[in-house]
Amino acid sequence: MNDDRFLERLRDDAPRLRYQPDDVLLTRLTARVRERVASQPTVESFLARWFRPLAASLVALALAATVGVQWYERAQQQSTTLEAAMSADPIEVSVDGNTYTLSH
Amino acid sequence: MNFAATMSWGRAFELVPHEATTSHPSDDPIERRAIEAVKNGDAGSYEYLVSKYMKRVVSIAWGIVRNAADAEDLAQEAFVRAFQTIDRFKSGEPFGPWVFRIVTNLSLDVMKHRTRFRHEEIGEDEPAARRDRADLPAMSGELARRIDDAIQSLPEMQRIVARLYLVEQFEHSEIAAMTGLSAGTVRSHLSLARGKLREKLADLYE
Repeated sequence: MNDDRFLERLRDDAPRLRYQPDDVLLTRLTARVRERVASQPTVESFLARWFRPLAASLVALALAATVGVQWYERAQQQSTTLEAAMSADPIEVSVDGNTYTLSH
Repeated sequence: MNFAATMSWGRAFELVPHEATTSHPSDDPIERRAIEAVKNGDAGSYEYLVSKYMKRVVSIAWGIVRNAADAEDLAQEAFVRAFQTIDRFKSGEPFGPWVFRIVTNLSLDVMKHRTRFRHEEIGEDEPAARRDRADLPAMSGELARRIDDAIQSLPEMQRIVARLYLVEQFEHSEIAAMTGLSAGTVRSHLSLARGKLREKLADLYE
């Protein structure tokens, strides 16, 4: 018998070595695949999963920026008010009969 | 006809042949329609494909990893991955070879991992082939046992290629596509395997 004929005959006999899962196992595996396939994320849920934390971070940043701007504006306003008060009401200091005026 | 309704998970079992080969989908219009339905978002239609190819996919995985539990996990994983990447699947192509390729690659990854940790997993006096023979219900008779022993004694890639060719009945080009080897390398592995098998099985095939 030559090599090719040997391989041919072996190939005829070998399929009996195929693993044969029983119907119970096949049903169980199919059910598992079904379960996993059904729980696959949809496009909407996938996007939501990524965008929710991103949106939360952006909101936090926006809030911080708003508070910062408010605080800065208020500080600027207080400084302006003080300067205005100083200009409107100059301070006079008398030393040795001479009067000095402090103003902005 | 509402295809999705007729292809529900429960009914698919009534429609499928129990054992699938690598037939072209044109031979099976239900398969072609199932693929299109899955691509259009009908996950229920996937059961037809799972039912049709599961048996073969488990057998391929088992032939490589020789462990029933691993083979079941690999088959399951292969179908889930095939589903996740169904958009990349070219319509009109047969689904079988695609999922066979996925399960082969997953199984080869398991083998690579095992090779890395071989000393921890397999004792010197307990070859994996013998340990897992209980998983093989078809293993009856002296001839089958001898062939199985002979195939299992081959070096890893020769064993995998020989098993895909002899047991699973794939052609060289199909094995090449499944394993990522060139057709020439597949032929070379098979040729080397043939020599060793002939030596071991000389008394049976003379």
